[in-house]
Amino acid sequence: MFYLYLLLALALLTGALFIAPLRSKVWVAFTAVTAAAAAVAAPSISVLAGAPAKTLARIEGPLFGCEQMAVDSLSALFLLIIAVSGMATVLYSRGYLQGYLTQKSSAHISLHYVSLTILVLSMMMVVMSSGGFSFLLAWELMTIASFLLILFDAQRAEVLRAALTYLIMMHIGFVFLVAGFVDIYAACGSARFADLPACFATGRAIPLFLLFLAGFGMKAGLFPMHVWLPEAHPAAPSHVSAVMSGVMIKTGVYGVIRVAWEITDSAQIHTAGVIVLGAGIVTGLWGVLLAAVQNDVKRLLAYSSIENIGVIFIGLGIALLGRAAGNPAIAAPALCGALLHTANHSMFKSLLFFGAGNIYSKMHTTLLDRFGGVAKSMPVTAILFLVGTLAICALPPLNGFTSEFLIYFGMLDSVSDGSDTLCAAGGLMALALIGGIAMLAFTKLYGTVFLGSPRHHHVAEATEVDNCRIAAMAIPVAGIVAVGLLPQYALRMVSGIAEEFIPSAAQAVENDMAPALGRVSLAGWLLVLVIALIYTVKSRAQRNRTIAEGPTWGCGFTSPNIRMQYTGESFAEGLESIATSLTQNTVEGRAVGKSEIFPSAHNYNVRHKDRIDRLFAAWWMELLRLINKRIMRLRTGKINHYILFALLFLVAVFILSILNLI
Amino acid sequence: MGTALNTILMITVALLTTGVINRTRAILAGRKGVRFFNHVNGVALLLRKGSVYSTTTTSLFRIAPAVYLGAAVTAMLFIPVADLDPLISFEGDMICFAYTLALARAAIILAAMDTGSSFEGMGASREALYGALVEPALMIGFATLAMFCGYTSFADIFAREQSFDLHLTIVMLLTAYLFVKIAFVESGRVPVDDPRTHLELTMIHEVMCLDYSGIDLGLIHIAGWLKTACFSMIAADAVAAVCCFRWWFAAPLAVALTGLAVGIVESTQARNKLARNTTFIVTVTALAALIFFIGYLLQLDINI
Repeated sequence: MFYLYLLLALALLTGALFIAPLRSKVWVAFTAVTAAAAAVAAPSISVLAGAPAKTLARIEGPLFGCEQMAVDSLSALFLLIIAVSGMATVLYSRGYLQGYLTQKSSAHISLHYVSLTILVLSMMMVVMSSGGFSFLLAWELMTIASFLLILFDAQRAEVLRAALTYLIMMHIGFVFLVAGFVDIYAACGSARFADLPACFATGRAIPLFLLFLAGFGMKAGLFPMHVWLPEAHPAAPSHVSAVMSGVMIKTGVYGVIRVAWEITDSAQIHTAGVIVLGAGIVTGLWGVLLAAVQNDVKRLLAYSSIENIGVIFIGLGIALLGRAAGNPAIAAPALCGALLHTANHSMFKSLLFFGAGNIYSKMHTTLLDRFGGVAKSMPVTAILFLVGTLAICALPPLNGFTSEFLIYFGMLDSVSDGSDTLCAAGGLMALALIGGIAMLAFTKLYGTVFLGSPRHHHVAEATEVDNCRIAAMAIPVAGIVAVGLLPQYALRMVSGIAEEFIPSAAQAVENDMAPALGRVSLAGWLLVLVIALIYTVKSRAQRNRTIAEGPTWGCGFTSPNIRMQYTGESFAEGLESIATSLTQNTVEGRAVGKSEIFPSAHNYNVRHKDRIDRLFAAWWMELLRLINKRIMRLRTGKINHYILFALLFLVAVFILSILNLI
Repeated sequence: MGTALNTILMITVALLTTGVINRTRAILAGRKGVRFFNHVNGVALLLRKGSVYSTTTTSLFRIAPAVYLGAAVTAMLFIPVADLDPLISFEGDMICFAYTLALARAAIILAAMDTGSSFEGMGASREALYGALVEPALMIGFATLAMFCGYTSFADIFAREQSFDLHLTIVMLLTAYLFVKIAFVESGRVPVDDPRTHLELTMIHEVMCLDYSGIDLGLIHIAGWLKTACFSMIAADAVAAVCCFRWWFAAPLAVALTGLAVGIVESTQARNKLARNTTFIVTVTALAALIFFIGYLLQLDINI
């Protein structure tokens, strides 16, 4: 019955979107998403406030037995993230797609909105499903919908390529997940997450966990499965990147938490914790390093998503280690930090992708070094983007800091309590380095794009975007500031999950984390107050003095020009020079040679590639292609051949059954 | 009362350190040197002046000095002077301290990028890189303290019972050494950076403030003193924790430690070539990790 209703709802939605007039399609989609958000928000908020888990629907699945759609505290958090980001995304899409309404056919726009709505709905289903068939169905729906969304600009070759890479990688991940669920089904007779403890108890916990980690890690973008992210995000429209990067990849995090917390044996939890922590450290460092050297706004943001997934996994790893040691003082802050970072990242990453969309829609490029001085032509975007930039660098008093504070808190507790000291110290150093390089990456992004002088006349002539997009960006900004200045209330959102997942975490929350976050909040307010005070005093003091304006000091050089500004490329040069073995550049065109006194026009293009890409262009891919070619010979296109194959298959089955082989 | 004294002492340390550095350098060079409070007079003069702003800049450029100083002031309020209580103290305040200083750095980097000058961009790029590389050293230094003392707030870490413990002494002295080194990097002193350098191409910290004048420049100088004072006070606290944990011992020690160390290094050593700076800072980080590991082994009571 459930699937019938689902199909009916989707058919209705599709019909409504295709029928609606071109300009109001967005409002149909917005209504649908808002309705879904309202429907899930009510149970989510009550569950987070302490009510027991709610079952919304029971499903008799065609495979894997009985399942249900339920909201427990973990689902509730993710549902709220999806609901808010989903609404902001659809709202933003109105302004962003305005320019495309005349270029694309009405059916194209309808398809885009159908996919966008289905993506949001399927993500909600993913986090509500108890596992098995309904989970896999929702997961696949999510993949297909996001694939169609990436394809929006399909006439560009690189978009097609990126979308196909995405589709293929997601299906490799899907195979892992199917294998995982079949394994549970074989052991327990049904394939829900709740059956996992029984399955893990049979002794193969770590291989099964790795299977799920591979499946979910593919979506989350764990190293080395992250290669689709920096391809797909620049290809997709900005609001799609926002929802994919801000929310969709978090379903991978959700899956890993679901699976990892069903392991019951403490030695196995410890192993899983070390694996997750290691994966987080490598992912985070790799992501941030590659982010810092990118010269394309959206690629930089995509790599920064990988980095933040790394940070979340570092938190989860520490939480698992703390749980293995039976120490809630370590596990609770780390888990709360990881969950809060998931929520926080969905806010600032959506915001930053929206900002990237604003500048892209005005200047039609995402190359960093084409911009400069955008703050003057688009001041509101610049201010909102600055909030996102500071938040993603985890600077107080904004939200990124509160979640990283909790993760650090867990690690320092681990170090000071002497349990897993070296693991925690490794995580600590990695997180510190990630934070530092993230600041380099984002000051480079902000400094090159928004500050300085315009490098191109398009930039100087750009105007501010419409209010709808500004409103969509204001939603995450409000969240960023609220969580940053009042973290003790944000903690309430995730502490319920920690109390459910970690025995006796309530005490750690009440005695350690809540007071500490209260003080963090005080320190944040104090910081804001001190800054405001100094600025006011300074402005008042300057009131009666000579304030002159002049050109930037050129260090004695009298005719500096705009092209002499420091570019993003040169900003990251120092880092690149010490990390040469980890990065790889491809250069198109030719730089101006030293001997050219009067240089002619040159075309010079650097692309910072990922070394992991080579893994997917190696000999085994060639082998795969060869095998594929051989198999393709069977596809003759003649019906009589296919009938022959069917006959051969039946004969083979017949013979094998006679021989008792099957 | 103790808190107020703590804050006053921190400010005093900040004001005195630069004077001690100048005097040390003068004596070692055989000069008489400038007046002790010459630097304070200089800043007081700046604070009374008007300003020139570049037409390229936005209002971010005018807010940044306030953020820079505001963050430095807030960071200062976390640091205890030996047995006195700082204004803000809670479990995990060391993380807050590190990230508040990171906010200061972000503000000044963005302000430098705002001028659109190639020189200031160069300085900003270097500051961002060196800041990123020294961050792990700072955090692992804090972790060493946390591991040995079992607390994660400055006030609790240093305030422990006075009994001689060889292992603790070793770790505390090594940590003090580490924080003095970090102070060199964070406050832009020789061998990483030279505040008296004469060529913009080789500057790091100074080049980022090229376009600041008057009151803004004054604020930036004050923030720099406060930052240095924070690190030297942590180092002094670590030393004081093993010999004499009283504010009247720790405060002069902080001034002497950084003042003499910086003064002597600046008179005897040339600054690094810029390409060597990353090596220098990564070495500091490696040193920090090594100190952590030594602390770990000592805590396990393995004889080494």
